[in-house]
Amino acid sequence: MLLTEYEGKCLLREAGVTVGDGFLASSADAVTRRKLHYPVAVKAQVASGSRGKAGGVIRAATPAGARSAARRILATRFGTERPAAVLVEPWLTIKRELYLSVTVDQAAQGYVVLYAPQGGIDIEHGKPPVRYDVGAARNFRAYRLREIVRDIEPDASVREKVIALARRLVELASTRDCVTVEINPLAQLEDGSLVAADAKIVRDEYAAFRAPDIAASVANANKRQPQPIARALAGDLMLVWLEGEVGLISGGAGMTMASMDLIGDAGGRPACFLDCSNNPTPAGYRLAFDLLDQAPAVKVILVSIFGGLTQMDRVARVMKDIMQQRRSRKPVVFRLNGTNAKQVEDIFAGTGLRNHATLESAVSESVAIARQAGRR
Amino acid sequence: MSVLIDQRTRFLIQGITGNVGRFSARDMKEYGTVVVGGVSVNRREREVEGIPVFPDARSACTATGATASVIYVPAATALDHVIEAVEAGIKLVVYPGDGLPARDAIEMRAAANANGSILIGPNTPGLISPGKAKAGFMPSFCYTPGPLGVISRSGSLSYEACFRLTSAGLGQSTVIGIGGDAIKGVAPAEALALLHDDPQTRAIVYLGEIGGNDEYAVAAYACGPGAKPVAALIVGREAPKGKKMGHAAALIGSHADTHPAKMQALLNAGVHATGTLTELVAAVRAALNTSSRTRRASRNEGSL
Repeated sequence: MLLTEYEGKCLLREAGVTVGDGFLASSADAVTRRKLHYPVAVKAQVASGSRGKAGGVIRAATPAGARSAARRILATRFGTERPAAVLVEPWLTIKRELYLSVTVDQAAQGYVVLYAPQGGIDIEHGKPPVRYDVGAARNFRAYRLREIVRDIEPDASVREKVIALARRLVELASTRDCVTVEINPLAQLEDGSLVAADAKIVRDEYAAFRAPDIAASVANANKRQPQPIARALAGDLMLVWLEGEVGLISGGAGMTMASMDLIGDAGGRPACFLDCSNNPTPAGYRLAFDLLDQAPAVKVILVSIFGGLTQMDRVARVMKDIMQQRRSRKPVVFRLNGTNAKQVEDIFAGTGLRNHATLESAVSESVAIARQAGRR
Repeated sequence: MSVLIDQRTRFLIQGITGNVGRFSARDMKEYGTVVVGGVSVNRREREVEGIPVFPDARSACTATGATASVIYVPAATALDHVIEAVEAGIKLVVYPGDGLPARDAIEMRAAANANGSILIGPNTPGLISPGKAKAGFMPSFCYTPGPLGVISRSGSLSYEACFRLTSAGLGQSTVIGIGGDAIKGVAPAEALALLHDDPQTRAIVYLGEIGGNDEYAVAAYACGPGAKPVAALIVGREAPKGKKMGHAAALIGSHADTHPAKMQALLNAGVHATGTLTELVAAVRAALNTSSRTRRASRNEGSL
């Protein structure tokens, strides 16, 4: 869960990192209601990168300039998102832009620190940052990072500040369940001090059970999702909406993606990634059908499940019930296999439902139905 | 041979009185796995499926001589149970659960390392050495003994893939579910090293997906000296950028995360890689053929 810059900076401030003294404003009026020292930076608060390149950060030297900057940003769409607010901060006179981040990494068996002496919006085109594999947070060793940074950061005073900051970021990531804490740019000012000019923090959604602030922002973000996705999330289903006609109800990320790929191979287009493995219950499957039945783009529904813990005799009984009660006439194609799958045929007997033996034949029937519906 | 588990491995099931623990206990026993004890912190029952239930891992280990454990508890208490297991002397811990915070996965792995134990998981069905033992809840009929070492990020995909291999007469030495999260107890490089050293394993089958770096570890292994032949299936060609596809790590952020980038790296490394389930069996056959060719070649060299 990616935080906005403002939310990220609040966490950084609590962790003892210097950030600009800014405030949030949700309208142009709210910007100039305060007495400010100009120039200021007016910054779009959106959870997406490359905001700077898209005109989401504007320098304003006067109240009128700040008003128009805020108005312009609040009316702009960045990626798919329109900012709900702007962050207004004192404009920083930056001597050098650095890059510092902490993220979770398999090779490090935990946290890794990344540092580059030249940061900013072109970080991806410059020399790649150096990395210090920390592992668990308590394994952070300042001298190890110093060895790694020594050759690329000759300014000893900057280097020592970076090392001290890196420790705070690793501790922040660990104690506050962040999977990424990125400061880019980390601004070196004329007086030599380092200020976090931006903040990109990703918090670990899986930690919502023990971090009420994460739980709250997950709930908030889910509510902001478009209707079908919000409903799916509320029902513990994972839904990603795609452009195609073949609705897919599946279980397990790998099998869902493999089924999507096979739909593509057969010349069709998947309508969604819909993984029910977290809620393989009558309610979960009912919701899945409901979501796809209500989507006009979906011409056929393919149920592709290979269950391990999910017992397929139970799934087949649920499917039978849903098929008998469901109002929609959209065709449904089944391919159920896995634990207790032998019983599926008996359960489907006499219902007119057919369970395909292979995923390929189920996919090919689904794509054929979708194609026919497209022609009509 | 197989790796990590066989018919002699003595297992505990921690969380045996829960629904999943109970189901898996019966299923593992039916497969012939030696399940010697269960652990339940509440211990309302003396036994489950004929398996004695203990109040903690230490007493269970002392009483039964168990060296492996499968842990079925919710994410909130998972770290504590894994630490309890490895500090009681368990050398192989399987934690199948998903939704585990990254910090806890990091700590789990560190605890296993510190005690000389191996952790499989999180977010995995577990592992199976067909015909010998299973530590997890994969459907047994999908597997048969044979020469293939299988490594998978996805549980459901590994069932489907192994079902196809088994139906085609291509059996497996050990199938390791390394899991779909970013931090894994056993990373691909480590799983590859285990299978590389196993004499029964003639070729390696890797089941991967978009997002993360795992596929590059497989490519690095495959182009190294003396590598066993590798076949790979990479799924997620139809996945859009910037959306998490179920697994925490299945997310396309950078170019390296994409399907074409991974396929290219694997093909360049000489892996028999495909992006389509339909072609998996053929890719695996091709890998096995290279394996017999190289063996013949090395025999011929030896006779010179």
